[in-house]
Amino acid sequence: MKLFLRGSHLLFVLFLLVQLLPDARPSQAIYSVGFAVAAETASLLFAVLTLRTQRREAHLFFDLLAFVYASLIVWELLTAKFSILRAALFPPPGMIIAQIASDAGKITLNIRSSLGIILEGHALGLAAGIPLGLFLGWSARLGSVAAYVSKFLGSIPPVVYIPYGIALLPTFRSVSVLVIFLATFWPVLAGTMSGVLNVERRIIDSARVLNVSRFSMLFHIILPASLPQIFIGCNQGLSVSFVLLTSAEMIGARSGMGYYVKNYSDLGDYTRTVAGVLVIGTVVSTVMFFSNKLQNYLLRWKS
Amino acid sequence: MKKIEVRDLTVDYGEREERFTALDGVSFSVKSGEFVSVVGSSGCGKSTLLSVLEGITRPSGGTAVIDGAPIVGPGTDRGVVFQHYSLFPWMTARHNVTFGVKQARKDLSPKRRLEVADEFLNQVGLEGFKDKYPSQLSGGMQQRVAIARALAMDAEILLMDEPFGALDAKNRIKLQELLLRLWEGRERKKTVVFVTHDIDEAILLSDRVVMLTNSPGRVHGEILVPFPRPRGRAKLVRTPEYSKLRSELLSLLFNDLSRKIGGEEVVL
Repeated sequence: MKLFLRGSHLLFVLFLLVQLLPDARPSQAIYSVGFAVAAETASLLFAVLTLRTQRREAHLFFDLLAFVYASLIVWELLTAKFSILRAALFPPPGMIIAQIASDAGKITLNIRSSLGIILEGHALGLAAGIPLGLFLGWSARLGSVAAYVSKFLGSIPPVVYIPYGIALLPTFRSVSVLVIFLATFWPVLAGTMSGVLNVERRIIDSARVLNVSRFSMLFHIILPASLPQIFIGCNQGLSVSFVLLTSAEMIGARSGMGYYVKNYSDLGDYTRTVAGVLVIGTVVSTVMFFSNKLQNYLLRWKS
Repeated sequence: MKKIEVRDLTVDYGEREERFTALDGVSFSVKSGEFVSVVGSSGCGKSTLLSVLEGITRPSGGTAVIDGAPIVGPGTDRGVVFQHYSLFPWMTARHNVTFGVKQARKDLSPKRRLEVADEFLNQVGLEGFKDKYPSQLSGGMQQRVAIARALAMDAEILLMDEPFGALDAKNRIKLQELLLRLWEGRERKKTVVFVTHDIDEAILLSDRVVMLTNSPGRVHGEILVPFPRPRGRAKLVRTPEYSKLRSELLSLLFNDLSRKIGGEEVVL
């Protein structure tokens, strides 16, 4: 019974009640209701499945859902129901959801274009930054010089490479990959190096008395021991990457989520603009969510 | 037969004015199959001595020899247990042991390595904890894994640096008895150098106790522990011989202190 007294369920019911009020302007409410019903169904399914386990995660999920319903209610009241906000700039939630649904194909293409660039640049940045960081950090003498060099180069905001990159490279896509690569490479390199320099001496001694090879020392001991700090650099790079890419797409691209938002706001289509912003938010948090899951899994040995 | 021989060993740390002599002309030897404890108060250089035997620290003077050959670096002919961080935190108990076995016994197949690891983890009483990470184990259990790894590597020499120093009294006693049982139970006994500051621990476990003095570390004396094996703690500590040996060792330790306080080497 307590299952149905949760805030999220009450807010869901409240949302449905709000729909009974007369519309002050067209709202395509069927879409927002459909969205809420789908979310509620999923949440009930989730509640049944996690009845016994993962109490804390379940709480978080329901709190999040409650927040979504609350936002929908306020949004719906300010736009469709009482028309307090200007109609041209603030479309009601139903229209945004409808727009996302009808633009699904186009949006998917743009997401794919943006994510492709992010993944490629990020992967290249990791592939270069981690081994180099391990090597530079481990050869401590070199490392002390390298630390300053990487600090200097890393302090340059990667976005300033864009004009130069455009001159150097043939396509907008390759420039974007370069910028994402740099945005990932420097923080990962710095994170890896500081990780290596801070590995507990006694752990290294434990490995030395086992007479491990140089390869084993780097990849079986130093690498896992520095993983927490490598991930800090990795996350920093990833969030900067999204900022950079969407900004770059607004400047010179013909595809991507940044382009979608910029293009439609130039055309005065604010339903699509808001839709694009919400989609970008969803995509970025989904990527961050799975990246965090993966990191937590790889660091499951930490207490 | 002498397994380990240390002669005139000197270890200095640091440069010029900040130069610090940790060990100054230390000599002693360990016979094959002998259990020797090195005892001294903290800061007497006993861990430095062990790290020379581990091959981690280079001596500034004198020699350290195993089987007639000078120690030039670490090697898997020596199994080592530290007080902390013997285990790699990202490896499970089983993986920690197989990693050591892989380093020491390259001829074994991966399947055989696992069997060896399981066998020794069972011996130290960790049947149900093989897939746990060190952070999920108590301090005592972590040291059990470290002991299992050192034994599974099948090294002829065991070097133990205050392995039970961070444990509570109850766990310390349990692990001392485990080590005693495992060491005494073998046909070919391993040669052990065991560093501790606990006199009772040294008497219970060893054949001989080497006493080190404080800064710089020097050998202050050696005492044979003549008690028959297998030893049992409960019985041993009640004998008058035990009390006599214990007070002898204590007076050696305090002699050193009083000499320092009375003499010119006042450090207070």
